[in-house]
Amino acid sequence: MSQTKSLNVDYNYTVVRLFAVTTVLWGIVGMVVGVLLAAQLYWPALNFDTAWLTYSRLRPLHTNAVIFAFGTSALFATSYYVVQRTCQVRLFAEKLAMFTFIGWQVVIIAAAITLPLGISQSKEYAELEWPIDILITLVWVSYAIVFFGTLVKRNTSHIYVANWFYGGFIITVAALHIVNSMVIPVSLFKSYSVYAGAVDAMVQWWYGHNAVGFLLTAGFLGMMYYFVPKQAGRPVYSYRLSVVHFWALIALYIWAGSHHLHYTALPDWTQSVGMVMSVILFVPSWGGMINGIMTLSGAWHKLKTDPILRFLIVSLSFYGMSTFEGPMMAIKSVNALSHYTDWTIGHVHSGALGWVAMVSIGAMYHLIPAVFNQGRMYSVKLINTHFWLHTIGVVLYIVAMWISGIMQGMMWRAVNIDGTLTYSFVQSLEASYPFYLMRFIGGCFVVTGMLIMAYNVVKTIRAKDGALEPIAEAA
Amino acid sequence: MDMATLHSIFTVLVFVGFIGLVVWLFVLKRKPDFDEQANLPFADDQKPKQQQKQESDHE
Repeated sequence: MSQTKSLNVDYNYTVVRLFAVTTVLWGIVGMVVGVLLAAQLYWPALNFDTAWLTYSRLRPLHTNAVIFAFGTSALFATSYYVVQRTCQVRLFAEKLAMFTFIGWQVVIIAAAITLPLGISQSKEYAELEWPIDILITLVWVSYAIVFFGTLVKRNTSHIYVANWFYGGFIITVAALHIVNSMVIPVSLFKSYSVYAGAVDAMVQWWYGHNAVGFLLTAGFLGMMYYFVPKQAGRPVYSYRLSVVHFWALIALYIWAGSHHLHYTALPDWTQSVGMVMSVILFVPSWGGMINGIMTLSGAWHKLKTDPILRFLIVSLSFYGMSTFEGPMMAIKSVNALSHYTDWTIGHVHSGALGWVAMVSIGAMYHLIPAVFNQGRMYSVKLINTHFWLHTIGVVLYIVAMWISGIMQGMMWRAVNIDGTLTYSFVQSLEASYPFYLMRFIGGCFVVTGMLIMAYNVVKTIRAKDGALEPIAEAA
Repeated sequence: MDMATLHSIFTVLVFVGFIGLVVWLFVLKRKPDFDEQANLPFADDQKPKQQQKQESDHE
């Protein structure tokens, strides 16, 4: 195991610890809300006729909780950890780092209050109203100062590739958030976008897809480039490839957003650009995935004994799967079938639960013992249990959505000889019903895994300093 | 100069930049140049010597 503690530099692990613990906490909250939503789609009475519990209000709560509370906390924790350890220097502006933690938690709690109340800008993944948007901006600028300040005062001559990905993610998310959140406030809780019509839609999906590309991809690739080599105990397969990966990915991702708006009022050429760029994006995505997986080349046996490594490597398999699926779905003729169906939901969760959640969970299992002065997690066996619960849950989820989605697409486009529609919308909904139950069950698996993780984390934190010895690896 | 020409120039510049990056990486730079960087995640473990030794013993 490579969880040896560095003795020469006094790192600031306080902020890392706080963000690591909130990662687990918000992960559970966000996923429980997700399971409730899945249950509502199968048992609609579960909204209890309460406005605050309706699907339309809880759905943005779920997406905000998993992306910005769970995922982004994991990014904060790992980036602060990785930047210190690869630069061999203590964090820059530590009070500001603490402000990012407190500020971000306030953002999350504000989201958890306003979204169920129905206060929303109605932009997907950018629902939060303008006062919260301003706080996000302040936190994010502070994050950039802390991160880049630490890079500036580094004790190493090079900036490790993981930090390039984290840096790219921080800068781009700042730009995306500020541009897409330009609004004219009319009251404390109501505002209108400064953009109009198709331009507003284009800006929104330039933001939306790059939130996927830079927050949910580049940020987590930074995580991958540190924790996969570290857990495997060997350097990344090809450092050259990682440099090409970085520049190709950031140069291409920014153009792909318009594939969310195929066959809309957007100019045709814009749609085609989005489609072409999305298809090309396949190349750097798979380059990165291969680079991560091949890091294990010659050490595949470690997968048998190390469930943390299994989390990390399987996350890369899901990354490869969804970055193949994504470009395919961005092709206009495929999109004509897949858009507005459950296939999209399946694709998102293959990325979010398969790639983002698994790489974060793996990173957390590596990082938590390291920052809490332990040699390993309390129970490696429970990590293994979590791995299988999570994997089974994700597979159940995405298979259910594939079948349901493609079926919906086929039923919606079916026409009789006289040109009338073969099926009504309700008929397609009826056909999807069994798969909604299957998704709910998959979600329960995932949440159970997260609860086991929480138990394991609490036990690890509460153990006496250094009480958990690293397991000697069988050669 | 109209926007279309500007966009074309930008596209060509990005393309040339990318080719330049690839040439720099694979032709001008040698593999050992990158080995140190690739090992940065392990660099801060190296100071306490016996731990490093333990690690290599497992290999």
